Amino acid sequence: MNKISLFPLWAALPLPKLFSIFLFFCLTVGYTQTKTVTGTTSDASGALAGVTILVKDKAQGTLSDASGNYSLTVLPTDNLVFSFVGYKTVEVAVGNQTVFNVVLQEDTTQLQEVIVNAGYYNVKEKERTGSIVRVTADAIEKQPVTNVLAALQGRMAGVDIRQDSGLPGGAFSIRIRGQNSLRADGNEPLYIINGVPYSSETTGATSTSGFSPSLTSPLNSINPSDIESIEVLKDADATAIYGSRGANGVVLITTKKGKAGTTSFTLNSSTSFGTVTRLPKLMDTEQYLAMREQAYANDGVTTFPATAYDVNGTWDRDRYTDWQKEFIGGTATINNVQATVAGGSTQTQYLLSGTYRDETTVFPGDFTYKKGAAHFSMNHKSLDDKFNLNFSGTYSVQNNKQPPVNLTAVSRTLAPNAPAIYDEEGNLNWENSTWDNPLAPLQSRFRSRTKDLVVNTLLSYTLFKNTALKSSFGYTDLTNKETNAQPSTIYNPAYGVGSEISSLYTNLTTRNSWIAEPQLHWKGTMGKSKFEALAGTTFQQQKTNRLYVNGFGFASNSLLDDLASATLKTVPLSDETVYTYQAFFARLNYTWDDRYIVNLTGRRDGSSRFGPGKQFATFGAVGVAWLFSKEDFLVGSKVLSFGKLRASFGTTGNDQIGDYQYLDTYSSSGVNYQGTNGLKPIRLYNPAFGWEQSEKMEVALETGFFNDRLFLTGAYYRNRSSNQLVGIPLPGTTGFASLNGNLDATVENSGLEFTLRTLNFKRKHFEWLTSFNLSVNRNRLLSYPGLETSTYANLYVVGEPTTIIKLYHYTGMNATTGAYEFEDVNGDGVINAAGDRKIVGDLTPKYFGGFQNQFTYKQLQLDFLFQFVKQQTFTSLSGVPGIAVNQLASVLDDATLQPFTAGGNSALTTAYSRYVLSDGAIRDASYIRLKNISLTYTLPLPSSTTIGCQLYAQGQNLLTFTKFKEGDPETKVTNILPPLKVFTVGMKLTF
Amino acid sequence: MKNLKNKILLVFALITLLGCDDFVTVEEPYFQLTGSTVFADKSTANAAMVDIYSKLRDGGLLYGSTSGSSATLGMYTDELVYYGANDANFFPMYSNALLSTSPLLSQFWNTSYHQIYSANAVIEGCQNSTGLTTAEKNQFIGEALFVRALVHSYLVSVYGAIPYIKTTDYTLNSVQSRMPISDVYEHIISDLETAVTLLPDAYISAERVRPNRSAASALLARIYLYDERWVEAANAASAVINNALYVWEDDIDAVFLKNSTATIWQFSPKLTGNNTNEGALFIFQTGPPTTVGLSTTLYTSFEPNDLRKTHWIAAVTNGTSTWYHAHKYKRKTNTTPSQEYSIVLRLSEQYLIRAEARARQGELSSAKEDLNKIRQLAGLPNTTALTAVALVDAVLEERQHELFTEFGHRFIDLKRTGSLDAVLPLTKSGWNSTDQYWPLPENELLINPNLTQNPGY
Repeated sequence: MNKISLFPLWAALPLPKLFSIFLFFCLTVGYTQTKTVTGTTSDASGALAGVTILVKDKAQGTLSDASGNYSLTVLPTDNLVFSFVGYKTVEVAVGNQTVFNVVLQEDTTQLQEVIVNAGYYNVKEKERTGSIVRVTADAIEKQPVTNVLAALQGRMAGVDIRQDSGLPGGAFSIRIRGQNSLRADGNEPLYIINGVPYSSETTGATSTSGFSPSLTSPLNSINPSDIESIEVLKDADATAIYGSRGANGVVLITTKKGKAGTTSFTLNSSTSFGTVTRLPKLMDTEQYLAMREQAYANDGVTTFPATAYDVNGTWDRDRYTDWQKEFIGGTATINNVQATVAGGSTQTQYLLSGTYRDETTVFPGDFTYKKGAAHFSMNHKSLDDKFNLNFSGTYSVQNNKQPPVNLTAVSRTLAPNAPAIYDEEGNLNWENSTWDNPLAPLQSRFRSRTKDLVVNTLLSYTLFKNTALKSSFGYTDLTNKETNAQPSTIYNPAYGVGSEISSLYTNLTTRNSWIAEPQLHWKGTMGKSKFEALAGTTFQQQKTNRLYVNGFGFASNSLLDDLASATLKTVPLSDETVYTYQAFFARLNYTWDDRYIVNLTGRRDGSSRFGPGKQFATFGAVGVAWLFSKEDFLVGSKVLSFGKLRASFGTTGNDQIGDYQYLDTYSSSGVNYQGTNGLKPIRLYNPAFGWEQSEKMEVALETGFFNDRLFLTGAYYRNRSSNQLVGIPLPGTTGFASLNGNLDATVENSGLEFTLRTLNFKRKHFEWLTSFNLSVNRNRLLSYPGLETSTYANLYVVGEPTTIIKLYHYTGMNATTGAYEFEDVNGDGVINAAGDRKIVGDLTPKYFGGFQNQFTYKQLQLDFLFQFVKQQTFTSLSGVPGIAVNQLASVLDDATLQPFTAGGNSALTTAYSRYVLSDGAIRDASYIRLKNISLTYTLPLPSSTTIGCQLYAQGQNLLTFTKFKEGDPETKVTNILPPLKVFTVGMKLTF
Repeated sequence: MKNLKNKILLVFALITLLGCDDFVTVEEPYFQLTGSTVFADKSTANAAMVDIYSKLRDGGLLYGSTSGSSATLGMYTDELVYYGANDANFFPMYSNALLSTSPLLSQFWNTSYHQIYSANAVIEGCQNSTGLTTAEKNQFIGEALFVRALVHSYLVSVYGAIPYIKTTDYTLNSVQSRMPISDVYEHIISDLETAVTLLPDAYISAERVRPNRSAASALLARIYLYDERWVEAANAASAVINNALYVWEDDIDAVFLKNSTATIWQFSPKLTGNNTNEGALFIFQTGPPTTVGLSTTLYTSFEPNDLRKTHWIAAVTNGTSTWYHAHKYKRKTNTTPSQEYSIVLRLSEQYLIRAEARARQGELSSAKEDLNKIRQLAGLPNTTALTAVALVDAVLEERQHELFTEFGHRFIDLKRTGSLDAVLPLTKSGWNSTDQYWPLPENELLINPNLTQNPGY
């Protein structure tokens, strides 16, 4: 054994060493013919460090050092096994030889040997029967992103990810194979971090965060650079074992682990600069005033009203400010530093990393998003290999300080001749009360602090040969504290109010959960048959506590952060929600001759979210695979190197309905009347709702050609959700907006997914890899008996997607008035929504995908990913053109627009309100975006040194190709901050 | 190693033992009470009732802020000028260009029917309760009926024909049709008549923040007047006026104080020290106003020596221009303790109701007496009207000057007398006669096909 690899173990973990000495001693006593073998390990390009050399069937082994040297004490009867990830394993018999210089061959079919995490079990890529896509640290590290979902955009077939806004800490939305549930918030996948379910339910309260960053997405707590791999489970075969929570897919996040070998230190530091991707061109003052004057002229108004300050001369008619530049035109700076130490022996490995990130914003003012994260992982196995322990823990702290007002919206609507923000003394300018200064709300302070802990321990013990007992124990603990301090200075001094009206809104959310999942795993072989089985049970509890406390009236604005100083305090909410969950699950896998595979999975689930008698349901799936490339007639084929046909069918469920919904309850309103705190009815009462079921079917073909240099997969899937658990919309006359219940409707999502991966070039110094993925999803409402008489009658159409919007049919402009006109579908002589909004529009993507290339030339690596989406959206006018709201510059000369009105012409106003809900307002918002580009240069250092250094430059959203001129095609909505264009430079140092 | 194995087996056994059948049955949450528990006890039933008043105070048509009827109906007619330039909710309200997609209108509709649901829940809860005494049940049911009638009366004023909701049953409520206006009035009257019999004469609270029998009578008088049932209107008003609890307030500056003896029903404030939302909304100290100001039409319509013009209206000037604001409530911000509560029903209206009802019946002298009572407080000479028609007109003019910025009286009066189209176009260039009704929220029509839209939308 060499000293370098073992040195840290001597220091850190003496005990295993003692054990191994003891073992060696025993062995030495029994046999006297031991000898020392030495040698080097290398590959085609030279010495290969870190190769595992094991004595077959014995708990004995070592690793090769940085120069590829190793030595080991063995018996002549032993066999040595040399293995290294990505290389073919070599086995040699010791015999009389004492020197073994082994050259490892790269395993070109390594892709198929990769072990994929399927949640409760692992499966080799080539042997999986389910639909699982995977993104690894390799790809994640190349993207300067803060939310894990951002790292997956464009990289996974069937996974549609959209950035909701460009605000730091803002959320992403994800749809795996379309929208299954009619309930808008019932389409979230299940997130599992190292085996621990992680609730993605947002925290925080709109009362504190107001506008931004809306609510906090807990997914931001997960540090992308700590992630080793992300697997997304899509079909029934892969998700049925998650039963009731698998309907929308499962996202498995595995964090990095230490590797056996010398202690390595890694320091990764980067700086990024971000600006808003796309800004529409708005009117300048001249254009704007021309529009306004025309609007009043059209309305027959000859003297401008006293309140029309923009046009009547109250405001300087020659003033011009580009408010987009002023409010969202800044440059955000992002700094990210990560330090990692990792290492270990063959028995015990560890990894410890710390990350610090801070981001400023594109807004004027001192706004920051800070995140600190620590990650620890430890793996240990006993010398007899029977006992395994994996521990991982991540802890993150986020501190977000964002403007409490939507500056993006203001920047698009504010008149270009609006007054200056500050007066000569630098105070907020209220221009004699003729406007609400849009930056006045920045006087208030919004802070969000989130602390999040996720820990997991996985114990496993081999009871007998092939039988292992495993149990995973997880714990999560999230604390989110938000405060919004609103000093009286946010108001116009004309109100004459002081700190007696200043207010402080706070909320504290804590959410903790634990999970225990004992399992029994068994493996067996009999002739050409291989069996794998597992059975387990889950106990999970999640508790959420929320406390909202508000304070009003302070002696001074300088005391505003101190709740105790408030004259009045109110508690609008104080609650505790308990969610418990229990399940039994099992898997049976049978493989015959490495060719035919059957995989059976099932789960019986109970959830506290349902009322008595409705709590339990059973889900299950069967998956089959045929590796036809292993059939005699194809073995040895020069063309086809891999071929697999797989299919699966099964059921999964969804319990995303919220807690206690089956109870008929009143809760405290937190509002005082006559000294009494009110009790308010919370919901309409329906105790009888139960599980929703999703039936999933998939057929897929996976083929590799020319030694897998060209790898092509295609999948067809069809998911049908029935007995849908929805909030059935109700008219306001019922007193509530919806009622929870099951709906006798079936929604189908069917689609095709293609992936292509080609190794275009592979020479000694140059390699070029291309991957491509394309997803087409079609959603439709398959059946809905009673739709016509239901409250959905005007929302859905059988046979059409559930994401449709019913539109008026725009027929052109009235020849005399110029007002927009629409088809009177029901011929009743009037245009109204119920009778005439009959055109079906669908704004969900028709297809989307990604195109990625990776070039490696010597020490240089270039990666780029184009993401493409085919979709439509509504035009984004900011209101009836002519009112005191700025518009796109193109509006002025647009002959397809009806005459301007300053608001006085209600016929035009009404026509406009219909136009924006008509097919005339639909625009193509398809786009191709250079989502990510990364250039990495590895410094050529002598192979004798253990120091490594990489320099990199990365870009996110650098280029966008689209016909959509009205803003950003990804967020589509113009009043939301678009994603940022981010440029990053950094360095990664390993020693 | 054997030892380790045993330890591990023990751990696994312990975990498996955790499993029991009721693991997924959670306890009822401590922060919620089931419906039947709430109405088993007087104090929780009372908490359910006061919650409705806080909802009326903090939202819907009786809300004293910009999104309540005092401001919206004021700017919709000729009482108020809206100074906020481009707001999507209030600018269309001011320019009489409402859209059925307006979030404000949806909010009015949904909030109002939620208030009605809450009232129906109290009625049903009390009816099914075994823990409440008959007196307690009568009190709460009477109050809930009063609230139900009150909210429907505002809805019918702005939307016209509306569904009248008398149950919490969503299967029935989700398919309701619009009920003719006269039928809606029948239901309101029936509810109020029952409330009059159920509610006690005395206030169950200090400060008149809970409606009593006279509050129900006062509202009943108003509804009879709107329904043109003059005899009943006069009688119901008399029932209030003759009640010794109500003493005419001779100091014009004391009418809107929280202890005014002429107040019939007012809202208790949200927080200790709060004054009214109306005060916070209407009062401004520098011009131009930031939200709303009184129109010059209203200001110049007062007779020269009308004390209300100087005591209930204040002028703000910057040297070149002058703006006016309602100054009935004098407190814009908090005081210790609160000095003014938002008054919903007050004695003056009852005199005006009786004056009009009497005039309509030709009882001129008693009508004049009632009208002059109001005029005297305003420092004005007795009315000079000689005929019934002139007297009715005089009462209506008096109502404009007495009841301005109090939950949309001006709009309702112009509408019920058929004067909207004659009066409003003088000052409102965007006025169309179909504007007499607001549009029903479009989303409601899409969800409930039995509902129809008002003409013009």
